[in-house]
Amino acid sequence: MTHLAFYVFVTTLGILSMGFQMLGSRLLSPHFGSSIDVWACLISTFLAAFSIGSMLGGWISNLPLEPRRRGQNIGAVAAVVTLTITALWGRAILGGIEEAFPPGGLGVLLSCVALFFVPVTALSTFAPQCVQWLAVRGTPPGKASGLVYGVSTLGNIAGVMLTTFVLISHFRVSTLLYLWLAVAVLCLAGLVRLLRAPQAS
Amino acid sequence: MKRSLLLTLALPCAALAAERAGDFTERHDTIYNSLTIEKRGNIVEMRARARGTEALESAIDLTDPFKPIVHYIQSLYGALFIQPKPQRVLMVGLGGAGFHRLFSAAYPDALLHTIELDPKVLELCGVHMGFTPGPKTPVTIMDGRMFIKRNREQWDWLILDAYRGGFVPPHLKTEEFYRECAARLSDRGVFISNLHATTELYYSDLKTIQAVFPQVVLFETEGRGNVIACAVKYREPLIIDPTKWPTPEAVTQPVFAGRVDMKHVRGEHVRLPLNRMRAGQVLSDDFAPVEFLDALKANNADEQRKKK
Repeated sequence: MTHLAFYVFVTTLGILSMGFQMLGSRLLSPHFGSSIDVWACLISTFLAAFSIGSMLGGWISNLPLEPRRRGQNIGAVAAVVTLTITALWGRAILGGIEEAFPPGGLGVLLSCVALFFVPVTALSTFAPQCVQWLAVRGTPPGKASGLVYGVSTLGNIAGVMLTTFVLISHFRVSTLLYLWLAVAVLCLAGLVRLLRAPQAS
Repeated sequence: MKRSLLLTLALPCAALAAERAGDFTERHDTIYNSLTIEKRGNIVEMRARARGTEALESAIDLTDPFKPIVHYIQSLYGALFIQPKPQRVLMVGLGGAGFHRLFSAAYPDALLHTIELDPKVLELCGVHMGFTPGPKTPVTIMDGRMFIKRNREQWDWLILDAYRGGFVPPHLKTEEFYRECAARLSDRGVFISNLHATTELYYSDLKTIQAVFPQVVLFETEGRGNVIACAVKYREPLIIDPTKWPTPEAVTQPVFAGRVDMKHVRGEHVRLPLNRMRAGQVLSDDFAPVEFLDALKANNADEQRKKK
């Protein structure tokens, strides 16, 4: 049961991350268009967030108990706060950046970093901790890593497909941003609790 | 005036002189499009490959470069019944410049500024389609919405024909974008949009345009699935009553002879499909399921309406 919940959380993290990228493209296009430079900035921002989040998460997972818990708290709060900012003031922030910068890549890149980098980085810090969680419960590290990243990537695919073909077709982007926030709160609360649960002897 | 007319006539001829004699098919994968250029006899077509089909973007008759080969190009001139003196025209979407060649010849003193996203489209227009930018026909490579947001000029005609492989990007279909377009129209300016009437998106398109522009007039290209929507931001005078329009003869230019029949264009006027529009949705930056609606084929109700 615990393992089932674990994989549900890992899948949900994947859905949240890449589904957010599709929502991001819809947020950006009224302000910066949908040219190839917009997509380049958007994808690069997400990849940078995955990269830095993974490294940070790996570092957190090897900290002693208390600092590790603090790291988990900071990661969860950072994700929730920045998703809240995007849901509440995302369009206003994009409008301000659009006004302040001439047409071109800089405004788009800044927008991507401002709205998407921190929440995706924060969500990504949990994948290495999930690997650690499996590893300390007896799964060989290589297998644990493969399982977590494999399941998370399936979540990524589900996030892209679900957002593109179902959610954007039927719901407002603003509604979906609140949905993302609500799911992130539930998923992170559950995952942090699970990661802290004492190992069954 | 004579110089600009000569220049307008010379540009397509110069481009055509470089055209190869034999038939050919070229495929170009650009950063935004997969384009096919095909020459068969005197006709050169530009087609965009998407969704397993090829959408005809534009075509040119090498023996008569001003002749609109793609039928909806003629329907665009329905805007002359609404604003018969276009001196400043902004067009979003270059395509194969089918509109440009004839318009520049008909109105050599008018400015026709085009916004095109794909630089390769402009290059191919110069090589194969008899159009190169000039002082009166500048082309800016940019996203159409980005240009319109930053532009502070007023335009007599603002034409939206920005298909990318058979569909228009969602951010060019929203109420907010149409408001930005309306703000760029001159007092008697007309917003012109090339719509596809074959999917459910059509009704949401019309409903969205109507949410911004108080008066909308439609010209339906016979049997082709294209409908040209002409919309204005004023309530008076009425444009929806065709009896108040100028006569076809009054808006016909000499170069239209044998190329654009304004009587025929006037006959393409159809009423708004108000019943079907009720089920449509006003598209906004927050909610624009353009791809989803575009995938839903419109049912036969409108076919039956046409037969009646």
